[in-house]
Amino acid sequence: MASSRALPAVAGIGLRAPHVAEVRRSRPPIGWLEVHSENYFVDGGPALAALEAIRADYPVSLHGVGLSLGSADPLDPEHLARLKRLAARIEPSAISEHLCWSHVDGRHLNDLLPLPLNDEALALVCDRVDAVQTALGQPLLVENVSSYLRFADDTFAEWDFVAAVAMKTGCKLLFDVSNVYVNALNHGFDPRSYLAAIPGGSVAEIHLAGFDASGPCLIDTHGARVAPPVWTLYRSAIERFGPKPTLLEWDTDIPALEVLLDEAAQAQAVLSELRDAVAA
Amino acid sequence: MPSLLEIQRGMAATIFGDDAALVALGVVAGGISAAARIDIYRNNVLGNYRKALAATFPVVRRLVGAAFFDAAIDAFVRAHPSNRGDVNRYGGDLARFLADYAPARSLGYLPDVARLEWAIDQAGIAADAPAFDFAALAALAEDAHASLRFVLHPSAQLIESRYPILHIWRVNQPDGHGPPDVDLGEGGDSLLVARGEHGVGVERLGPGETALLRALGRDAPLATAASRANQAEPSFHLPTALRRYVASHLLVAVRVQDPFVKGSPQ
Repeated sequence: MASSRALPAVAGIGLRAPHVAEVRRSRPPIGWLEVHSENYFVDGGPALAALEAIRADYPVSLHGVGLSLGSADPLDPEHLARLKRLAARIEPSAISEHLCWSHVDGRHLNDLLPLPLNDEALALVCDRVDAVQTALGQPLLVENVSSYLRFADDTFAEWDFVAAVAMKTGCKLLFDVSNVYVNALNHGFDPRSYLAAIPGGSVAEIHLAGFDASGPCLIDTHGARVAPPVWTLYRSAIERFGPKPTLLEWDTDIPALEVLLDEAAQAQAVLSELRDAVAA
Repeated sequence: MPSLLEIQRGMAATIFGDDAALVALGVVAGGISAAARIDIYRNNVLGNYRKALAATFPVVRRLVGAAFFDAAIDAFVRAHPSNRGDVNRYGGDLARFLADYAPARSLGYLPDVARLEWAIDQAGIAADAPAFDFAALAALAEDAHASLRFVLHPSAQLIESRYPILHIWRVNQPDGHGPPDVDLGEGGDSLLVARGEHGVGVERLGPGETALLRALGRDAPLATAASRANQAEPSFHLPTALRRYVASHLLVAVRVQDPFVKGSPQ
């Protein structure tokens, strides 16, 4: 079994294909890198070889988008087996997945779809998280997703549902501050209630990304700089949880690497400032 | 209260256009209608597939234009739903779909171009293979030579078409500047797609090489494959071809088939 080292409580960036060659060449001073697990569900080839080379220089986190922890369908054993094989090869510092569903009756929608927040969904998600943690032999980081609808019959507030998954399974949380902000605006709640409900000891990583505010809902596009109110919420999160590994994600209209590094530097400034304040 | 399975079935159906399934979902409206909320997911889901498949099939997209491509992908997604959580491996059926897609009926070469692009995409992620083991070849007894099998690199694929798809593919690269017109009367192509030291390559094969590689790919012994090649192309020179294939890492291993145990590698 791959030994897992914790991610450092500093800023990292999501590594996407357009930046791989430059990262290998220039080795930018960044604390760690995160990749989408499924992009490396391959049998061989240059992309996997590049990740192995990068892995020698940086802690790497494997971030999944397709395991579908919340599907009424059974877990896809092939998907889990590929994740396990990749983890054995890369020995990641963290493995994460989303609190969502993405397939039904064997048909995949390849998107992060929202769960109804009720006892049935909670029990199913907890079973799946248990199964994945057992298969991987290490804690899974579970990420809250952005959503554009909710269900009338929900019996949990989102933050209570997320906290319950962590408490019942012992999984860690990948706390996406941007998604909290997006949902707060889309569904009309105070993001501070969300923060207050999350057990800080369970938070093992934080995500920050940009959204699209041009329509009637905020859309979590990962295609822009982090918005000012999200930076404010991030600072509150670090004040509450302490310094946590923080990832800048950018997935559409991917800019030059230095733009990502600049965003990561902003997160690092918050982390350093609050760490110094604690130490003083 | 609908069950989790009912909600997921209903939401998937609604996303793929069954508006009647929306009501039972019990979506909270709150400022924006439930239908508009589902529209966001529909746009995300279809947009993801359009983007993912545009990355895999850039030449098909350039040949038909963005609007035609997007409409074709939307129809493809409904006809051949994804069956994996890994969208990178989705699209293998696009060529077959395009062959029956009425709006593309006049573009006979399009499915073959899609097959070529899929082969290129898959060659990039196929398994790696160790360097050719000459010692193993030298160590074989001479009477084993007739039943010798060559193992092709896992990325290797033969793509045959009655259209000049290599020419079409070359002049329709997404960043290409040349005139994209190709005379379809140029004749067909037999292409080898394989990953070598410098990445995935596409090369045109003559009839002898095509016959040889087709036979080797079907696990025929070397002697059989060589005689097929000579039938297809009387001037075919086996040693030259083999030397080139070993150098380019297309042939990665040899093995001798036990004639009594079908399919068992030595």
